[in-house]
Amino acid sequence: MISFYFGRLMEIFPFFLKGLWMTSKIAFISLVTCTLIGFILGIFRSSDSTILKRLVGVYVAFVRGTPFVVQIFIVFFILPEWGIQLEAFTAALLAMAIMGSAFICEIVAGGINSIPKGQWEAATSSGLNGIQKLRLVIIPQAMKVILPPLVGQYVLLIKDTSVVSVIGIMELTRVGWVTVVRIPEGLMVFTLVGFLYFIISYPLILLSNYLEKRMAA
Amino acid sequence: MIEFKNVNKWFDKLHVLNDINLKIPKGEVLVICGPSGSGKSTLIRCINRLEKIQQGQIIVNDIPVHDKSTNLTKLRAEIGFVFQQFHLYPHMTVLQNVMLAPVNVKKLAKAKAEKIALEKLEQVGLTEKSAAYPAQLSGGQQQRVAIARGLVMSPEIMLFDEPTSALDPEMIGEVLDVMVNLVSEGMTMCVVTHEMGFAKKVADRVLFMDEGKIVEIGNPTDFFDNPQTDRAAEFISKILTH
Repeated sequence: MISFYFGRLMEIFPFFLKGLWMTSKIAFISLVTCTLIGFILGIFRSSDSTILKRLVGVYVAFVRGTPFVVQIFIVFFILPEWGIQLEAFTAALLAMAIMGSAFICEIVAGGINSIPKGQWEAATSSGLNGIQKLRLVIIPQAMKVILPPLVGQYVLLIKDTSVVSVIGIMELTRVGWVTVVRIPEGLMVFTLVGFLYFIISYPLILLSNYLEKRMAA
Repeated sequence: MIEFKNVNKWFDKLHVLNDINLKIPKGEVLVICGPSGSGKSTLIRCINRLEKIQQGQIIVNDIPVHDKSTNLTKLRAEIGFVFQQFHLYPHMTVLQNVMLAPVNVKKLAKAKAEKIALEKLEQVGLTEKSAAYPAQLSGGQQQRVAIARGLVMSPEIMLFDEPTSALDPEMIGEVLDVMVNLVSEGMTMCVVTHEMGFAKKVADRVLFMDEGKIVEIGNPTDFFDNPQTDRAAEFISKILTH
């Protein structure tokens, strides 16, 4: 019996690999964009400008205070009402970028704020401009604080890509759904789905643990 | 060289600088003292605009420091600043700390910046520590590196904010020696300190502040032997007998 289902599973395994590929693609692109936007927002959030700080604060509060699945629906179903038509794939990436950058923003701002004021003052006194201060003095030191939770956030973001299945993207979780309709062995199907997520997440979990130990030293 | 004209500054309701008028000519060594919270650190921090002022003007080399149009980079290159807590960059070696501004602000070539940085490290007696990280140095050594970092842009003015207050007693001497050498080179210096030996030895004038006001200013002999106000007399007796 089991071997029969297992045989069926092997038959459709290429289908799973396609889903894994889609998941990896969404994850990779969103991690890069979330990191870029997250750093810029984090720098704004930790800046002296009250306006920038508040604006980013509102953005972060909104994103953190609403479920990701609702955010996806807003991007995919509500933006078109205002004339912004997006393909499911683009909508998924946009929703991931909005959500992930807000969390990374908080991590980055926390790291920057952990650097003592004296470092800013020393760099200011030397005549460095704002960008130089961040690039040469503040960010290199803040990375120690930023890196472990950042990698941890990457793991969460990779897992959150499963939510974009709700708008019909054929990524790993969606492949699981579709397969379960054809093979009644749901446990086996979703064990496989879970295992494939685990394969991409676990190295990052190890990396995060390692960084945490190293950066603490 | 440095001029304060009717300068006023408040931290919320606290009047930290109260109508300051002061002229510091080129080459002068001015020691600033006073009880904590009297505004002495704030006074020198306004000179390179680490702090903003709300009223009045500060002019350094004919440049109005607190004007919006002032090129702060150029101004700050002419003013070295040494902090109580050193504030060396912990992720950089001693040499990288000293080279940072010449390479990035003056845009000097690395080799040239390194040569100047090594000269300044020699001046503070720390050439052999150039590859070390700040955490590997004693407090006195860190402060000497900080002085080298201030000197590397060839400033005309050096500001010291309690440069020896965070040091163990046996390290104070090495830092003061470096500063005395600077005096002999004719550097214009404003030094917030309670090292009265240093003040007597090298200061041209001593400025005594209390509650944001300049209470007394004069040459060190007059100030220490014959203070004009009760407040200064009381302060002197406290720091000399502690």
